[in-house]
Amino acid sequence: MKDLLRRNTALNEGVEKLLNLQSKIECDASTKYLAMAAWLDRNGYVETAEYMYKQSEEEREHFLKVFKYITEMGGIAITPDVSKVQQEFESFRDVFEIALQNEITVTNAVNKVIAKCRLENDYATEEFMMWYVKEQREEEKNARRALELFDLIDEDSACGKFELDKQIAKIGV
Amino acid sequence: MAVNNNFKNDILFESKNGYSYQCDKTNSIIINFSGITSKYKVQDFLIFQRKVNSVDILDMLYDLSDKCDFKLIETTQKKFSRNLTICEIVQLRELLNGTKFALVLNSMLNEVLSDVAVSYLD
Ligand SMILES: [Fe+2]
Ligand SMILES: [Fe+2]
Repeated sequence: MKDLLRRNTALNEGVEKLLNLQSKIECDASTKYLAMAAWLDRNGYVETAEYMYKQSEEEREHFLKVFKYITEMGGIAITPDVSKVQQEFESFRDVFEIALQNEITVTNAVNKVIAKCRLENDYATEEFMMWYVKEQREEEKNARRALELFDLIDEDSACGKFELDKQIAKIGV
Repeated sequence: MAVNNNFKNDILFESKNGYSYQCDKTNSIIINFSGITSKYKVQDFLIFQRKVNSVDILDMLYDLSDKCDFKLIETTQKKFSRNLTICEIVQLRELLNGTKFALVLNSMLNEVLSDVAVSYLD
């Protein structure tokens, strides 16, 4: 009797579940950044808005990357539902406080997938997820830098907001 | 369960209301539930199984409206499409979960029996 299960997929069910969760998390991140971009745009922070639009697109790529990987491995990729996201923010700085917290949550999720891979001896997925480890290191660094800029540039000084908008948009380039 | 018994239909699970078997020739899983036969690729079978497991039975039980006496269970390309009662859903669940268990067990056996490394280690 053929081993139909194994012939169909190399993905363990638990790993597949976590990968689908990761795909949803990345998809949500894309939507969250999009809402932030719109808020920044309507409040005059045009440069940072552009930066956030780009972040949103990057998250969409992260999402597609996992999504396609699941199918490539013979798993069942589940299209995530669009979640409700925060549309309003208390302040310019608040946007970046939330962005950093969000990136930390994503990093934790990435680590969980890898821990599960090790438990299940799934080295292919572990290797695939290493790309996300690197990516998260970068993203957390950028999010921290944005908050650091708020400490360096006094938001309430003359041209403070204008300068912050310009400097944050330059992060990572 | 015979391993490497190629191109024969192997019964996976049997219950009062149906049975399932695996067809090695077409790499598919055949489900017969209360007289209705349908055939699936592994992935579609798994989607079917997960779908039936995700039905909230308690929710159906506590909902007193008529529309909740039945639930439409549909599989890919409508290979199976029927309104099932709570009782039938529980029965179908048993059949699908039993089938899944047989598939997992067979997979584990295959992994152990085909472990080439073991024979080299002695
Ligand atoms: Fe991401
Ligand atoms: Fe990110």
